[in-house]
Amino acid sequence: MGKSNLLYAVRLVLDATLPDAARQLKLTDFWDGCDLAANPVIEVHLDFAAFDDDDALVALLTDFRTAADPTVARLSYVYRKKAEVAGAPQSSEDCEFLVYGGGDEARAVQPRVRRRIAIDLLDALRDAEGQLGSWRASPLRPLLEDAVAAVNRAELEGVASDLETATRKLEGFPSIQALEASLRSGILDLAGNAHDIDARLRFAPADPLRLFRAIAMYIDGGKRTLSEASLGSANVALIALKLAEFAWRRAKNERNYSLLSIEEPEAHLHPQLQRAVFDKLFNASDPAQALIVTSHSPTLAAVAPLRSIVQLRAQAGATCAYSLAQLPVTPDELDDIERYLTATRSELLFARGVLFVEGDAEEALVPVFADALGRNLDRLGITVCNVAGVNFSPYVKLAVSLGLPFAVITDWDPLDGTKVPLGLTRVLDIHDDLCFVTGQPKLTLDDRAHWEKSDFEAFSAAWAKFGYFLNDRTFEIAVAATPGLRTALLDILNEQKFGKTRTDRIAAWRAGTPVEPAYLLAMIADIGKGRLSAKLAKKMPLGVTPPPYISAAIAFVADRV
Amino acid sequence: MARALVEDVVDPRGVACITYNNECAIELETRLARLGIHTSDRCFIGTVHSFALNQVIMPYARCIPGLLPPEFRVADTAERRTAVETAYRAVFGDQFDPHERWRFAEEKRRCDIDRTLQAWRARNPELASFIEAYEADLRRRGLIDFDDMPLIAFRMIQSRPWIREALRARFPIIFVDEYQDLGHALHELVLLLCFEGGMRLFAVGDADQSIYGFAGANPELLQSLLARPGVRAVRLRFNYRSGAKIIRASLGALGEERDYRGPDGAPEGDLAFWKVKGGHDAQAGAIATTILPKLLERHPHEEVAILYRAAWLGDKIAAALDEKAIPYVRTNGNALIKRSSRLARFVENCAAWVAGGWRDADPPYARLLGQALALVFGGRASDAEEQTVSRQLISFLHSGVGAGESAHAWLQRFSRELLPPWRAVARNPQHEWEVLAELISKTDPAQDKDMPLNIFAGRTEGSGRVSLSTLHSAKGREFDAAILYGMNADDIPSHRDRKSPAALREARRLFYVGVTRPRKELAIVFQEGNHSPWVAELSRRSKGEA
Repeated sequence: MGKSNLLYAVRLVLDATLPDAARQLKLTDFWDGCDLAANPVIEVHLDFAAFDDDDALVALLTDFRTAADPTVARLSYVYRKKAEVAGAPQSSEDCEFLVYGGGDEARAVQPRVRRRIAIDLLDALRDAEGQLGSWRASPLRPLLEDAVAAVNRAELEGVASDLETATRKLEGFPSIQALEASLRSGILDLAGNAHDIDARLRFAPADPLRLFRAIAMYIDGGKRTLSEASLGSANVALIALKLAEFAWRRAKNERNYSLLSIEEPEAHLHPQLQRAVFDKLFNASDPAQALIVTSHSPTLAAVAPLRSIVQLRAQAGATCAYSLAQLPVTPDELDDIERYLTATRSELLFARGVLFVEGDAEEALVPVFADALGRNLDRLGITVCNVAGVNFSPYVKLAVSLGLPFAVITDWDPLDGTKVPLGLTRVLDIHDDLCFVTGQPKLTLDDRAHWEKSDFEAFSAAWAKFGYFLNDRTFEIAVAATPGLRTALLDILNEQKFGKTRTDRIAAWRAGTPVEPAYLLAMIADIGKGRLSAKLAKKMPLGVTPPPYISAAIAFVADRV
Repeated sequence: MARALVEDVVDPRGVACITYNNECAIELETRLARLGIHTSDRCFIGTVHSFALNQVIMPYARCIPGLLPPEFRVADTAERRTAVETAYRAVFGDQFDPHERWRFAEEKRRCDIDRTLQAWRARNPELASFIEAYEADLRRRGLIDFDDMPLIAFRMIQSRPWIREALRARFPIIFVDEYQDLGHALHELVLLLCFEGGMRLFAVGDADQSIYGFAGANPELLQSLLARPGVRAVRLRFNYRSGAKIIRASLGALGEERDYRGPDGAPEGDLAFWKVKGGHDAQAGAIATTILPKLLERHPHEEVAILYRAAWLGDKIAAALDEKAIPYVRTNGNALIKRSSRLARFVENCAAWVAGGWRDADPPYARLLGQALALVFGGRASDAEEQTVSRQLISFLHSGVGAGESAHAWLQRFSRELLPPWRAVARNPQHEWEVLAELISKTDPAQDKDMPLNIFAGRTEGSGRVSLSTLHSAKGREFDAAILYGMNADDIPSHRDRKSPAALREARRLFYVGVTRPRKELAIVFQEGNHSPWVAELSRRSKGEA
């Protein structure tokens, strides 16, 4: 099930303009793999919460409160085989649909509920010109009708007579007269006198009440029509007009709540416009209007409030939705995550798996190691998330909320050996934090005490099963200590034509002096981690095995995407 | 109400109106319809029981676990008696009459609404146990009774503030008609919803017309409402209904000083005293032969009412009218079609449709279907359920058109073809299917009571029927002309009325209610030399004497 289907499901419940014929689905709407003999059912349930502050919404929804939680109202759509049909349904006539509320099929949803809690689908961004051009579909129509109704009749007639004068002048030109006459005779020739439609060439309809139909929106100081604007600008105008129309309908008390759905606006808006327009839309907090935007655009995802994001992901032949509404992070952590997503163009939101690492070096090298293992992370859709430190928790919670398989690669950080290693506490803390998201019980005090007594081997082996991969040294030392890699790394450093001190240091390392992480990292920084990883990837000798805990982490996620 | 709906309360919010009985509700619905306001989700009109059931219990009881059995319905008389007996055995276990004791318990149940107060157990604790045992026994069998409805609603609203809020959101204004007749349960509900829950209250009442003491009504509740801060009293002085002469007479009828008057330029109205030689039969005869025909010369049938104290007097007058072939409709318990029964009125409407109404859609089929759905499902029904009921109803109605059935035969077919499928799927906890059996027995051809269907449907030639009603049932209604039948010295006040001052006052208010029914003409019929003392006082006052 895709995004369009999800929106259609919402329309099945709410859309007042959807005819019953469309609500009566077809047998082909059942999932291809399902067994019709098993009487499958299509159910759509929309829950409304936090409506108790709005008296009008309470008046509409109060009959549909759920028995289990009276603060939540539910509207439902069900499509299923009719009770009286024996055996598997043969055609869609054997099935029926029901729209009801409160989880109780006897509580029919009255049309006025659907009229007043309305869904508007803006799938027409592809066809903004068409929408703006047709009088009936134009969002400008109700606004204009209203505005013109406020003009007094005499003034309107004045305008009509001015236009009449102009029209007469126009008709006075012989060439226009000739054209009109030839067109009229052409029509008469086709249709005959009985069907004379009295066609005329003029500026606007003569009836003052129809006059306003000739009003259109022009751009560039009135020189061009909106339909001549670039597609992007036409779309922005269309969205603005739609919003104005909704506000007007609410002001007229025609509706109490609008659900505006926009499908994939990125296809028809430049990224800059996307950012500007949706930044505005997402942050306009109108309690009587909800906005659903379906999108593949990282740009849009980056400006969307994190808690509003729902991700649809195909999993084992089904589609699972992951909502971030309940992501258990503090406001500060939320800011951090949003900044991170903006900086990485929301890569994490579109990933299929995540490797969490502590720093830049890992971020640069882990993809190279993965390639060496024959598992290209980009192709697998696995992203490496650098948390720039050891505060994994908010990011891991995000990954778990999105249902992403993940691995955390972190250091053991044993301190002086008298205290519990930091890496051990870190892993246990992340685990406890995740229990918020997964609903599993936290570690008991006994469990914790048990783990705190364990040594590196036992602990890292046990927690690797859950995706935590520990390194008893630091990453850089681990790399420099990996046979095959060390030479490649030092070769690259050597090519950089560093000054004497560094060149000497590299030589010493080649000779067997232990690598000092600080110096190594400084050099890597000068090269740039992107360039380094590219170079390393090229130089990586075949058959080199990355440090075992990294390999294990990559395999852990890659096996699960 | 119409103004509030149009000018004040913004769609989709609405207003609720609580009336004393279904008949008043129907009257209000009709009058609103004339103003172009049709009953919808925005507008609730009904009794306090129906408000409690349809606006509180049905939508929200399931949100409170353990409050009520899932598929509850309203107990019938036999089930209530069994529960009284079971509860009595459990609580008292002696050989005395459970039902005698229950009368006291019932009174406590109707007055002590708030059981969270100490008074519930402090006063008559054994009655409290009796009541609780009774209710528990009903619940065990998936039942509630009529008095339960406002009590359960009260407890729900009291314990769940969100229900109060939801009601206020849906109905920012609540109207209460005949406040003096509505009893403690309504009063407590009003206090909760309006004074604590912020609903706006518009109550109409007249303590002088409080005549339902036996049903728990208490005119003091209206007075106590007036004494509350935040309540503004608007005293209505103008009687827009009756002529000046009748208004003056009514003050004599009441025996109290009131400054009621008619609007300037209103017609005087007419007041006639008919002395009849002889008792009730002679008086009924005089009405049928002389008094009523004279009034019918000036007023259409449906604008004339004959009012009396008790149903057995109604039987006498009905017999007298039968003899003269004057068509009538009875609105009290002995009526063929009870105006207070929604099922009976639905049956009557169906008969009207079959007897020719189908031609001009009067009544429209859509209304019949709406009534049927309300009767079967208590309001809401799914599309499939609606279709099924509609199919059954139209096929039954259609088969009756032109079939020439008598009312009895048609009713029997109704009972055979529609009742079983409807009873099987009924969800309305407040059903009254037994009304149909009653209609069938009241049209029994063996007792010569059968009639053509068009007569049953009220589609007789000419213009309608004279109303026959007890004084109690006439409350809230009005006619061009009213005949008060049997206003004799020993009938009003009766021997029983004279036993207590309170009863005597209530009887006098009943007399006052009768006198204030007509707009133009009031005819008072009594035995010569044996008139009620109140008739004499009325006569004096109508002549402007003190």
